[in-house]
Amino acid sequence: MAASVGFKTSVDQACRAAEEFVNIYYEIMDKRRRSLTRLYLDKAALIWNGNVVTGPEALTNFFEMLPSSEFQVNMLDCQPVHEQATQSQTTVLVVTSGTVKFEGNRKHYFNQSFLLTAQSTPDHTVWKIASDCFRFQDWATS
Amino acid sequence: RSLPSGHTMRHDHQDNSVKRRARCWGIYRRRFPNWSEPVSPSMDPSSRQQQDGDAAASDTRVDSGVRYTPYAIPPYHQRGTFHKQDQTPANMEREQKPLERSMEGHRLQGTSGSWFKITVPFGIKYDEKWLLNLIQSQCSVPFTPFEFHYKKMQAHFFVENASIAFALKNISGNIWDQDNERISIFVKPSDVPHFVHKELKSEKVQQIKLTMKKRDDSQEALDIQRFHFDPDFMRHADMAANPSKCMAASLGIHEENMTKVEYAGEMDKEKGLEPQQMRAGGNALCTTFSDKSSNINSILELFPKLLRLDGQESPRPTLGGTEAHKKLPTCKGSVFGSETVKNLVLQFLQQYYLIYDYGDRQVLLDAYHEGACFSLTVPFNPEDPALSTLCEYFKESRNLKKVKAPYLRRQLLKHTKRDIVDSLSVLPKTQHDLSSLTVDVWLQTERMLCFSVSGVFKEVEGKSQGCVRAFTRIFIAVPASNSSPCIINDELFVQDTGPQGICSTFSIPMVTPYSSSMPALSQEQQKMVPS
Repeated sequence: MAASVGFKTSVDQACRAAEEFVNIYYEIMDKRRRSLTRLYLDKAALIWNGNVVTGPEALTNFFEMLPSSEFQVNMLDCQPVHEQATQSQTTVLVVTSGTVKFEGNRKHYFNQSFLLTAQSTPDHTVWKIASDCFRFQDWATS
Repeated sequence: RSLPSGHTMRHDHQDNSVKRRARCWGIYRRRFPNWSEPVSPSMDPSSRQQQDGDAAASDTRVDSGVRYTPYAIPPYHQRGTFHKQDQTPANMEREQKPLERSMEGHRLQGTSGSWFKITVPFGIKYDEKWLLNLIQSQCSVPFTPFEFHYKKMQAHFFVENASIAFALKNISGNIWDQDNERISIFVKPSDVPHFVHKELKSEKVQQIKLTMKKRDDSQEALDIQRFHFDPDFMRHADMAANPSKCMAASLGIHEENMTKVEYAGEMDKEKGLEPQQMRAGGNALCTTFSDKSSNINSILELFPKLLRLDGQESPRPTLGGTEAHKKLPTCKGSVFGSETVKNLVLQFLQQYYLIYDYGDRQVLLDAYHEGACFSLTVPFNPEDPALSTLCEYFKESRNLKKVKAPYLRRQLLKHTKRDIVDSLSVLPKTQHDLSSLTVDVWLQTERMLCFSVSGVFKEVEGKSQGCVRAFTRIFIAVPASNSSPCIINDELFVQDTGPQGICSTFSIPMVTPYSSSMPALSQEQQKMVPS
């Protein structure tokens, strides 16, 4: 059935995108922080432990101000977002979790989720962050 | 107090009304407000920080024990903000006084020094600074605590010296807290803690820089041989043996400082530094500070026992002027974007968990879109691969870090509302603590509402009964015909909080928000939504 074939494809595509994206994102976050803003759409919003940051300038300042980081991602999941929400703009929900150590601070568990949208050119698809939500998760045992 | 803390499941007399309401999705559904106003989190500054009570730092959630007692938080237990946390004695000592540590032992301790882990049972009750000050005040030997942290109910830190460990052990039982309860201290030998390797590397860099800077000020040529005899440098035996190697390796650590380091022309980065004479200030490896006065301040903050510098009396150290230690932004509470969205989301969550916890989860069929997706994940913990208490979840866990086969990845993603609800129905029975929820509304447009919820829940039956789990759940919803949220994506993350953490000692006071006066949480309940 066309619908289910389409769904399988979108799931596979979502997984590929998620894995690739997550590798890049945390690599850049840890090692080339100044480039991080480029991964975000202009109208993207970040909610970082309840702090709302929107727009490229605010994001750049925010990432600049954040201490250097060491992320350890232990969990990754993703889902294709139903097109009814996205007006056929291919979107993927990506969820990660793990630990992070910001310099000068103790290690924290974190949960982070992204909405990625595909920006396709004839050659390839570029995924950009439309939304990013990050929270420390300190309920868990260390 | 309207908060019925200490109430364990008082379902007997509430059973009927709760069951009634849990029977059907939407039977008590209020008219959800029109959510077509495209409000994003940033738009409404006044509601942006929905504090929902105290904007205490999220590290208050660590000591869940305190949170769930009906008692006021003891005065000595002021957890404060992340800023305070950064400035605890442990952190300050570690970052600012490397020399002091080496001097106190009067020993050449390399990374092979003897480490001890110090444990204070029930230490989680105490503020870090207060506890360390108390211990220090009773301890005959000044000590530097490393990596102070709380684990479960205990406070832990490391010390790098057997005589200190012994001294600390001696004061066990001889110190009292403000409730006149004895504080015990347990001491045991430890392997070199894992953080040491990384931490000491950055210390090494600091020391190298400052050692060189000392020389730089006095315009002496750097003779690498002289490093062997510099007391700052001698702290680490391995550095003394192989200073060139260490410097090269150490310099790789801090990328941000790299821009300030000048390399001598003749040095080959790949091979490391040549053990030749290096000229400070010229081509030599040196870090640059903005001006001399800040140099001196910087050095003195790090080496307060350094009395002489360039033949001058040392000025009193002043705070500030160090390399900026970036602070983390304060953690804040739920983010809703607007009052309308807040009501919408809270109503949805109350409804959802009412059914999820007390009703038949099949009823949730009506809450999901026909083509919805659901998946759940449990983190892979390399230290505990058995994950025995989370096995019911682990079976369905779609952690792409572990699940590689494409067919399995597809299989574990539940698709269509029928499959989803069937999946949910076999997950363990739960009780969610709505007062523990933090909500972040990421996105809200005419067609889409996207938010995440995190908090804790308790397992109420089976072999994990009583165990408390932490969860984060993401909902993406579209407006249904009656404009109530219709879920299209649902992702659930579950993590253990540990058997000793909350489970055995505390019962979650189940706030029952299902009275007819609800839509929103009451004032008192809102205060319980943590930051």
